[in-house]
Amino acid sequence: MKDLKTLTFYEELIAGTDNDCLRAAREDGRLMIGYNCNQLPEVLLDLPGCVSVRMRAPGVSSMDVGTYYMTSLNCEYCRAIVEMCFDGGYNFLDCVFDSYACSQMADAIDNIDKLGICRSSNSRFFVARVDTPIKSDENAVRHLARMCKARVLDRLHDEFGIDVSDEAILKAVEEHNRMCALLNEIGSYRKLEHPVITGYEFAVICLATYSAPHDIMIGKLRETLAELKTREADPKDAFRIRVVVAGSEVDDPDFIKMIESTGALVVADRYCFGSFPDRMEISLPSHEAGSGADNASEDLLTSICRQYVKRCQCPRHMDRNKIDQRKDYLAELVREYNADGIIVQQMNFCNFWPYERAAIAHIIPEKYDIPVLSMDRPYSSGMSGQLRTRVQAFIESTEIKRLRKGMKHA
Amino acid sequence: MRKKKRVGAVSPGNLYNGGKTRTRREWRGAADTLYDYSRWCVNWTRLIRFIIRPQSIKGLLRYRWMHDYIAAIDLLDRSVDGLRGNQLRIGHTEFDYIVKQIISALTIMFEADQRIGGDKKKSDKIVVFDENMMEHLSFGFPDLNRSCPQMCAVFARSAVSQHSAHYYIDVAEQYGITGDVCTMPKAELGVAIEQDFPDIGNCMIHCNTTCDTSLMGNSIEDMFYGKPSFALAAPEHIEDELVMEYAADEIKDAIAFIEKQTGSKWDWAAYFHNMKMFNEMTRSFLEILDMQKTDYPQLPENNYALHREVYYTRMLNGRLEDLVKVEKNIRRLMYKGYKHRDIMCSEVRHRALVWGVQGEFYTNFPNWLIECWGIVPITHFMNLTSTSIYADEDTPENREQAYYDLADLHVKMLMRNRSEGGFRLGVEDVWRFCEEYRCDMIIMYEQIACKAMTGYHGIYEEGAAERGIKIVWVTHSLLDTRKASRQAMRDEVNLYMRTVLNETPLAPELEVIDDGNAW
Repeated sequence: MKDLKTLTFYEELIAGTDNDCLRAAREDGRLMIGYNCNQLPEVLLDLPGCVSVRMRAPGVSSMDVGTYYMTSLNCEYCRAIVEMCFDGGYNFLDCVFDSYACSQMADAIDNIDKLGICRSSNSRFFVARVDTPIKSDENAVRHLARMCKARVLDRLHDEFGIDVSDEAILKAVEEHNRMCALLNEIGSYRKLEHPVITGYEFAVICLATYSAPHDIMIGKLRETLAELKTREADPKDAFRIRVVVAGSEVDDPDFIKMIESTGALVVADRYCFGSFPDRMEISLPSHEAGSGADNASEDLLTSICRQYVKRCQCPRHMDRNKIDQRKDYLAELVREYNADGIIVQQMNFCNFWPYERAAIAHIIPEKYDIPVLSMDRPYSSGMSGQLRTRVQAFIESTEIKRLRKGMKHA
Repeated sequence: MRKKKRVGAVSPGNLYNGGKTRTRREWRGAADTLYDYSRWCVNWTRLIRFIIRPQSIKGLLRYRWMHDYIAAIDLLDRSVDGLRGNQLRIGHTEFDYIVKQIISALTIMFEADQRIGGDKKKSDKIVVFDENMMEHLSFGFPDLNRSCPQMCAVFARSAVSQHSAHYYIDVAEQYGITGDVCTMPKAELGVAIEQDFPDIGNCMIHCNTTCDTSLMGNSIEDMFYGKPSFALAAPEHIEDELVMEYAADEIKDAIAFIEKQTGSKWDWAAYFHNMKMFNEMTRSFLEILDMQKTDYPQLPENNYALHREVYYTRMLNGRLEDLVKVEKNIRRLMYKGYKHRDIMCSEVRHRALVWGVQGEFYTNFPNWLIECWGIVPITHFMNLTSTSIYADEDTPENREQAYYDLADLHVKMLMRNRSEGGFRLGVEDVWRFCEEYRCDMIIMYEQIACKAMTGYHGIYEEGAAERGIKIVWVTHSLLDTRKASRQAMRDEVNLYMRTVLNETPLAPELEVIDDGNAW
């Protein structure tokens, strides 16, 4: 395939924590709102005058300081975030909202807050905690709405004078939806028998949407979409199998590149920083202008929180129906994107994913007859020869299974 | 520095020779040795009476984890290592009751266990509680039994026999769980995978306390349990008062779930009666804490922590009257010891706050600190869980308040309020307690797979240095001795005391003990 012209733009956006788009937004007087988890409604951090920045640590090489404060027994992602803050990578943030979804990340944010790392360069800087629910029932929806009102909206309004009215929120939702619709249309090209976009390219684009103002992204995504419409796939398949990648944080597209370099095309991304389910549109029929629906039945904030709670695929949601639904969701992605298998990965020292990963590796092959490769990895794993070998072995075994299935059907 | 001549041997001496059992009993002087031996006989009688019951024999043959309970008396001996006089009697009052309760819990389970032909009706009257569940939820269901199989199959057993969890940890790792997560939920999952939990109960209540890993282990265990279950969510950021409404809503739903599954009705009279008993225990506990602040603390922290927070509460089925009696007895002995100005060892050199998750395979480690180095552990974060007094009069307002009280107890559940509750509860309180209890040292357990506490490592180091408090890191892996043995834990203290503080031990023969193979 010909190179994607806009890819360099996205790659530059994600090369570091800060980028030209964020700098331009700051020059326009917009606030930089850091956050660390998809369980926190991102749209509330993208209100007019604000830009949400999902925290990650691109290019961090040494984690010595992070390791001193958090020990080598903690998740590298969390340590890398602390390290990045010490290195000044997040000095441009005006505040950080922590979802309190994971104790390790909560500790990392505590370190940032109590050691006053980011505050030294910005006296207005603050850290706010938003307790996010652990189930997906109505108690959880009400709880998230309460927390978001008091700890996000009120705080943004009181500290920075941000407009947190329903109109402002609707505007942010509308922009979010426009961006998601474009991204999903780009992503839908992965469903084709011969996709005109690779998993790596999509991972870069998707990751960029977490690192730049949505209004700027919308224009660029349109350009990319137009480019894809005329892009021609390679005549001969460069890939041997198609896979869905699932699991914990992947904020390093080189990991996807590594998988694809072995011959497995990544057609769907159900991991933190991926597009499923975080880049799904927020549907608010009763709150749309001119809908004629009874708006009094539920306030806008609760409706938004309901969507975030219901669609959450994080393994910390512990109600039994949600535990089952997560596996169904993965199987559905495999079917929809015509994948041959699932690669479920987790970062070392994660508390949640070892269990979820083990459960997926047992349940999915048994219940849905879908091959699964289960692996753990370090934070930066794009160059890992060991992981490469494991993916290669998975490709071979999946091909053999496919052949056997074909012989059976014949 | 306080000194006192001891009755009997100056230190317990070398009791191990590399075998499973101890080589001899400790000489504590005639009266104390005789008392200790009489309690040893009483507890053996209890165990024999229990094991000759037909259902117990079936349980013993069916469940691999039952075999380790043969060492229950060894745990008792270990827990009173070095104690004399009133402190020895307090230790026995606590631990004898624990043995009694473990026997009672096992009896209830085996009589109802469907895997070994137990009584179905009895089984239907049981609600299975996760071991980290707040037991007070059962206060309003006097006609139901609360049972916690994980406690018997994994946690208590690991204290009894140090290697006992290895098999189930390996089973869970073969299932695919990584080696870097906490061994407790992992071992519990191993038991579930092997179908080695008794098949009891009408339904199950599980929860996200104590921690993220525990939550995840429960999710898969729930799958293996296969009966109706309710996941009782406890909010994470418990320093924020706004989370309590969510917690209270969850309590209401949990009660409704139990009512629906069992047909029992929540009994307010029983709830308030039990809460009254619980409050009395808390008041007694506050007195104990006050005494620990003086120059003559009477309780080794590990014994009381295990007694109050770990075993009593998990094993008991709402019979709080018995507990109150035991508490009164402990308090009486404690005051007697204080009157005589008793101290726990021949010389008190340091007063230590013990923080972090203790190594369950080495629950008598604090006894060793006392005997070997004169470090007296004053209190432990396990102890400092619930010190509030809750509404215990049955009034319409208190009925609504009760949901919030239960919510408060739930979010502050054992361990998690300190390890997961946030910076104030996990870090700032350390300095506050050091000041209140006049501690010059912190024994900081670093459970290598507990990510909650390790995340504050640097902040603890810097905070302690700033305040001139000595901080001794003691690494362990909770249930897995293969990652850090008892001797490895001791070595970290030995190294610190000899090199950093330049001190010599009270009992040099205790620095290295050949107990790697012992129970």
